[in-house]
Amino acid sequence: MTRKLTPNPSCSIGGVKMADQGVADPGNNNNNKPETSEGTIIKVTVKTPKDKEEIAIAEDASVTQFKEEISRRFKAKQDQLVLIFAGKILKDGDSLSQHGIKDGLTVHLVIKTAHNPSLCNYLHSNTTSGFGDLASLAGLGMGSANFMELQQQMQRQLMSNPEMLSQIMENPLVQNMMSNPDLMRQMIMANPQMQQLMERNPEISHMLNNPELMRQTMELARNPAMMQEMMRNQDRALSNLESIPGGYNALRRMYTDIQEPMFSAAREQFGSNPFSALGGSSESGAQPSRTENREPLPNPWGPPNSSNPSESGGSTTGSTSTTGGSNPSVSNPLGINPGSLGNGMFSSPGMQSLLQQISENPQLMQNMLSAPYMRSMMSSLAQNPELASQVLMNNPLFAGNPQLQEQFRAQLPIFLQQMQNPESMSVMTNPRAMQALMQIQQGLQTLQTEAPGLMPRYAPTGRYTLDNGFQLFCFFWPSLMTGGIPGIPTGGGMPVENPAPSPSSAATNTAQQQLMQQMLQMFAGGGAGGSTQTPEVRFQSQLDQLNAMGFINREANLQALIATGGDINAAIERLLGSQPS
Amino acid sequence: MATSSEVKVPRNFRLLEELEEGQKGEGDGTVSWGLEDDEDMTLTRWTGMIIGPARTNYENRIYSLKVECGPRYPETAPTVRFVTKISMNGINNSNGTVDSRSIPILAKWQNSYSIKIVLQELRRLMMSKENMKLPQPPEGQTYST
Repeated sequence: MTRKLTPNPSCSIGGVKMADQGVADPGNNNNNKPETSEGTIIKVTVKTPKDKEEIAIAEDASVTQFKEEISRRFKAKQDQLVLIFAGKILKDGDSLSQHGIKDGLTVHLVIKTAHNPSLCNYLHSNTTSGFGDLASLAGLGMGSANFMELQQQMQRQLMSNPEMLSQIMENPLVQNMMSNPDLMRQMIMANPQMQQLMERNPEISHMLNNPELMRQTMELARNPAMMQEMMRNQDRALSNLESIPGGYNALRRMYTDIQEPMFSAAREQFGSNPFSALGGSSESGAQPSRTENREPLPNPWGPPNSSNPSESGGSTTGSTSTTGGSNPSVSNPLGINPGSLGNGMFSSPGMQSLLQQISENPQLMQNMLSAPYMRSMMSSLAQNPELASQVLMNNPLFAGNPQLQEQFRAQLPIFLQQMQNPESMSVMTNPRAMQALMQIQQGLQTLQTEAPGLMPRYAPTGRYTLDNGFQLFCFFWPSLMTGGIPGIPTGGGMPVENPAPSPSSAATNTAQQQLMQQMLQMFAGGGAGGSTQTPEVRFQSQLDQLNAMGFINREANLQALIATGGDINAAIERLLGSQPS
Repeated sequence: MATSSEVKVPRNFRLLEELEEGQKGEGDGTVSWGLEDDEDMTLTRWTGMIIGPARTNYENRIYSLKVECGPRYPETAPTVRFVTKISMNGINNSNGTVDSRSIPILAKWQNSYSIKIVLQELRRLMMSKENMKLPQPPEGQTYST
């Protein structure tokens, strides 16, 4: 079916042979048909936004046949394919010739993917620390004995294949992650390599501290080309780190300087930042190694700190990213509301999205836990509590909080037993169990906010709560994996309390119960400590202001104020963030 | 293609070139265009396709458009209309017509612009801050006109 199109016989149109061949025959490719005479096999270029392939197909083939071939070549399912030619979608019932598809022409292809589960396979790169941490989680399923090697391998692959990078960037999961500067910052910080980097280049730490800049960087990072550039820069910087002058203390100091804004970002989740006095104001330079920090921790549940203006930007992002109802949705099958996840000190927005991701992909957790080296590591840790404590101490999140460290050390034996307990393993891998844990957590949090007087007071030392163990575990896992103690695969955080007692041994059960009680006490004590006033009374003026502004939902206002510790601006952002946009 | 202002490119010459380009799939593969009716001698009615850019609310969607190149094209801008329902600044919500005054290149049309550029510009606008997060109607809906 040739097309005749000669609108103006007198006009000579260069470059396009008008003659009898119809317009859709650029440059007269009739002679380029391979082997056979006209009509049989034509070579059509199929182009996606990412790559293109040349496909040989019969000229009189149907679109369906064409799609078959394409699905083979692009490794996608036929019903995911959408073909576009000359501005029209090719329907399965059509034929190629109907649309005038001839040899040498290009057809556009869109592969529809709602959610790309192969993300996990992509994120095996430690080229940027942000990736590295999530990648560690994902990559654990591979069960590689040498994790570092795996990372390096993927890094090499990634560098050599920019396509993969753009594929990674396209993935909505990654995009969600990347669009949350707080999460990125947190992940970046947790990576010891990054810490070293930050030590070398203070500008980076400034960059990380500035949420605005973070967001800009994230925008940059979304552009794969910039990303590559960044990666290269980082590689160069990392290679400079060879000559690090052993300033571990300096490193810790540096890190503590960063902790403050980092935890201020997480501040909206709990009343105040217990580390703010550590990192921020006083000892920017004078802090000795973290284990020697004798300064008493401020009362985290004391009068709320004044809001840190530079963090309100971060909180905004945090609050918008932590919206999400409790209703299970497609992307959140366990109905986990990240906004209510956690009163633990690691319940920053970053943590929450991490948790959400994990809950969305229970397989991840499963993979994580079933990796063979995981077991061996657990057993080695159990045998060697010293090692475990060392590992934990190395985690910079604990830097500067000796009390917490003490707690952990005390809990270690119990914890290790716990981890050995296959029951706790199964709890962690069982999404419903995790959900139950979350629900308990939420319940406790609600209790805490609604009736703080209910729980007995307890000297606030560190706020770690029921599912904190899990959070800590998840959080520690990647950072520790990527470099806790060299050579030793690292252990997790605090014990995950198994609320459904399934004792495998009486000793374990008792330990569990003790732990449970302790945790509850600490948690509850944390909630009630510091002030006998109910939040309502404390925030009366703020509530009035919010009311005047038009936020009439008193309950929500109260929650928001509690979460932000009385900071009106942050509370407003929280409230706004929880509205569907 | 002549870009200097002294030489006026005949309309059909231009449109044939654009047709050829559309069929060859020049560009990055995110827009596509072609004649609506292959027998259209006047090369007036075109269909276009825009693939929604990633990381926006338009992602993963394919937007179909109708472009009409009038007799004075390329001196005057074409009229563009979305067929697929879309929520975007400058696009009429009820019938999908693109407001020529709101889209910069349509408002300040130059004869060196082309259908491809229009489509690409619309796609670029989808990525703008003001558009990228606009809630979109369910996929697959079209305007009734």
